[in-house]
Amino acid sequence: MRVERKIDGKLSRKGQMEAIGLVVIVILIALGMLFMATFALKSEPQKKIFTRKGLAYSTMSALMKTTVRDEAGCSFLSAEAPKIGGDVIEDCAKYKDVDRSLYQCIGPISHQPLHSCAFLEEMITSSLTKTLGGWNKNYEFHSQLITLQGETPIDIVKPICEKGFCEDVGGGCPKWKERDSSGLFPINTGAGLVENTLYLCD
Amino acid sequence: MKSKKKMNRKGQMQMTETIAILFIFFILLMFGVIFYFRYQKAAFQEKEEELLGQRAMESTLKALFMPELICSRGEAEPEDNCFDVLKLNSSSETMQHYLDDYYFEIFSYATITVEEVYPENKTWILYDKPKPDFTRKEPTFFVVTLRDELAGKNQPHYGLGYVAVTVYS
Repeated sequence: MRVERKIDGKLSRKGQMEAIGLVVIVILIALGMLFMATFALKSEPQKKIFTRKGLAYSTMSALMKTTVRDEAGCSFLSAEAPKIGGDVIEDCAKYKDVDRSLYQCIGPISHQPLHSCAFLEEMITSSLTKTLGGWNKNYEFHSQLITLQGETPIDIVKPICEKGFCEDVGGGCPKWKERDSSGLFPINTGAGLVENTLYLCD
Repeated sequence: MKSKKKMNRKGQMQMTETIAILFIFFILLMFGVIFYFRYQKAAFQEKEEELLGQRAMESTLKALFMPELICSRGEAEPEDNCFDVLKLNSSSETMQHYLDDYYFEIFSYATITVEEVYPENKTWILYDKPKPDFTRKEPTFFVVTLRDELAGKNQPHYGLGYVAVTVYS
């Protein structure tokens, strides 16, 4: 009887030790998991989000307000310099299927008088390359004409990405990437509503 | 004699086992401590970066809405994301002149420049006070319109440019 108890006592103490060991292991694993979760659930810094959103909006807002300089030779229609987010986009939307548009401005890249749609492409490409492109940001610019309700929007300007036209060189900010939008910059034209959007991503 | 020897060997075995377990336990503990301190160091650096980023953001917003630079027209609402070229021309000198007296309290150690992209390529250095022994700097960019009242015939000309605000720590 005495021997049995002794053996039992030894066995139960060994069992207790093993249980403590298991508890220690479980605690260690739980702590590790907690650390991993802290790392994984860390949100993107506020500054990054704010800058991307603000930059997309400010770029688009500034671009739409920009007027074409007199040296571009396109303001023969009125004394006022044509505004990108107004006169030029409207002209492009109206005459996109015609060889000659009302405005024939000299492009900043080709230095040739261009159809307003071609001028827009050059102007936007040049401006975005000098700003967002210079800071190594990925971007995608869209300008779409919505003629009737429900009709598929038509690109009046080919989508522009950081390396050129998106359809030719790829890149840009596809939907699966974490991106921020400038929001729609709608312009009411005689041909319909033109929606301009700029996407920014890392 | 024989059973005593057996017991001794068993005891030795148990001792070795305990030492091995303790050794492994302390190694694990050491790894944990190293990992924790590394994490703390990284977290501290991240916090520092976050604070610098926050300061960059605040300085940029202050610069964007400065009455000395923003496009205004009488009592009308000022235009957002727009700098007046006439104001820029005079502010670059004024801001440098009153840098320590007034503007340092607003921007602390920072550099603020405005670059024109279209139609020309002008640069205005508005504020330049880098920290003498800075370890980190954080640049923030914002695209702005540059209104030039003197360039247009009937209406002002709007150019394109950007403001670069760099803060130091």
